[in-house]
Amino acid sequence: MTQPLLDVRELSVRFETDHGTTHAVDRMSFTLASGEVLGVVGESGCGKSVTMMALLQLLPPSAVVTGQVLFEGTDLLRVRGPQLRRARGREIAFIFQEPMTSLNPSFTIGRQIGETLSVQLGLSKRVARERTLELLELVHIPAPQRRIDEYPHQLSGGMRQRVMIAIALACDPKILIADEPTTALDVTIQAGILDLMRELRQRLGMAIILVTHNLGVVADIADRVVVMYAGRKVEEAEVHELFASPQHPYTIGLLGALPRRGARRLQEIPGRVPSLTVLPDNCTFAPRCPRRSDQCVAREPALAKVRPQHLVACFHPGVVEVAV
Amino acid sequence: MSYVELEAEAALAPLTVSPRARRRRLVARRFLRRPLAVGGLVVASVFVLVAILAPWVAPYHYATTDFNAVLEHSSASHLLGTDELGRDVLSRIIWGARASIQAGVLATALAMAIAVPIGLVAGYYRGWIDPVISRVTDVLLAFPFLILAVGLAAILGPSLLNATLALGIAAAPQILRVTRGETLALREEDYVRAAIANGASDAVILGRHIIPNMLNTLLVLATVTIPQAIIGEATLSFLGLGVQPPTPSWGVMLSDAQSYLTQAPRLAVYPGLAIFLCSLSFNLLGDGLRDALDPKTQR
Repeated sequence: MTQPLLDVRELSVRFETDHGTTHAVDRMSFTLASGEVLGVVGESGCGKSVTMMALLQLLPPSAVVTGQVLFEGTDLLRVRGPQLRRARGREIAFIFQEPMTSLNPSFTIGRQIGETLSVQLGLSKRVARERTLELLELVHIPAPQRRIDEYPHQLSGGMRQRVMIAIALACDPKILIADEPTTALDVTIQAGILDLMRELRQRLGMAIILVTHNLGVVADIADRVVVMYAGRKVEEAEVHELFASPQHPYTIGLLGALPRRGARRLQEIPGRVPSLTVLPDNCTFAPRCPRRSDQCVAREPALAKVRPQHLVACFHPGVVEVAV
Repeated sequence: MSYVELEAEAALAPLTVSPRARRRRLVARRFLRRPLAVGGLVVASVFVLVAILAPWVAPYHYATTDFNAVLEHSSASHLLGTDELGRDVLSRIIWGARASIQAGVLATALAMAIAVPIGLVAGYYRGWIDPVISRVTDVLLAFPFLILAVGLAAILGPSLLNATLALGIAAAPQILRVTRGETLALREEDYVRAAIANGASDAVILGRHIIPNMLNTLLVLATVTIPQAIIGEATLSFLGLGVQPPTPSWGVMLSDAQSYLTQAPRLAVYPGLAIFLCSLSFNLLGDGLRDALDPKTQR
């Protein structure tokens, strides 16, 4: 196997707060090959976003991050200063969930994209403007000649998310991390943004990490999926494999909660996400799991291969005859 | 103006017009739509012009005495009458505008120059520096503005320059407090987080994201501080800590008028009116600018 573009090893994040310690991410490992689209799914609060923020040291100082994030051989958790700023934006770019507030209201979008270009790449004003127009065209903003001089408040949400993507693409990053990029948008706009991401990946050969709680989005665009629960990776597989034969009861639960044609009623997963103040030494999903046994409460299941390229952390894995 | 109109307008504007010019035109139009703001601008400009052109517009020199015309009422030769030494009141008010405008503008500029950088550092970097700066600010804020200014002016010695310095230093804590607060709020904005995630340095974040979004607030703050400093200068001069006679200042004139309040109350009314009008005009100007500059204002 060739060396992956991004190799995250045993990444753990804990927050030291006045109310004690919260273990947000526990020994997450995953890899990303160039040009690959990796979906990271899980319900709110399972540590998806924290994991992504940790990759580029974007967490507040109260976060204690351990492990390794190897990007082309360098550990991103150990770079500082200019080298870190270079990694942010030029190597790995971020787009966030809130397109409505992620643009600076005081400047035209042209200036904001141009700024990234001149700060990061040192382009002159004229060249930066040319490139900005190209980028706006690339993300399919109609009439870029006119839009370039508009202020964020003159654009719709979908338009702004496209501008955010244009900013992220400005420096030609190798990896694009999209944290719930479509959550704040309505469904038709969502589809447009996903189409755009798919197209960009094909045209620019960019690797994408897509963080979402929407399995439909993952099925649409991802090559491989990591399922997170309570700060841990519980399952990882190719997207078709995962949808065809989900092994972990949590994944099965998530799929059961997905609306499908012909299904009678959406299944919910009983119970709630556990609080993460103590790091459990058993299966974190056990309290909500229909397959729970004594073993599950006593020990922590290790990630095991059920098939090549398919990892599960469960003592009782397997596709279940539950109505899926 | 609605968004639709705005967009239509943007579409119709010829491409040769730069976005900045177009924006400036829009701001100007919004400003001109506010009668109070325009009034403030006109009156403030008149004061500034008169202050600059004092030697040419004043009918007499401020120190010219005429003992044949002492404490006179308004007349053709002395539009606002004369004071106890037979000096022309209008001329003295015109010359006095120099001290007031100079103190108002320079003291505010000084206060900004001191407070904004410190406030940015405290609000942006936090850490140990923020509590240190904030507590010192709290201590200074515990003194009323004028007491602080009077104390400083007393230490520095009486002169217009020293009064300006004292007013500038005394006004700094409030500006510092607001700057720090704004910085604290702005650094949590999503666009600041997005900029950090995309590799912006501290200088870029402060210069491109935090300061520009704070300008409206600072502008309003400045237009509140200018009249405060104008009144402060009048107070210091009144107390003998500012402009020294015979150089006129509205405060000096008020101080001189005290002894003649029963015989000639107009001697106090005219400089008082000047202080009032000048402060008010700057306040109105500031309010109008704030509304016109805010890109989110719809009208």
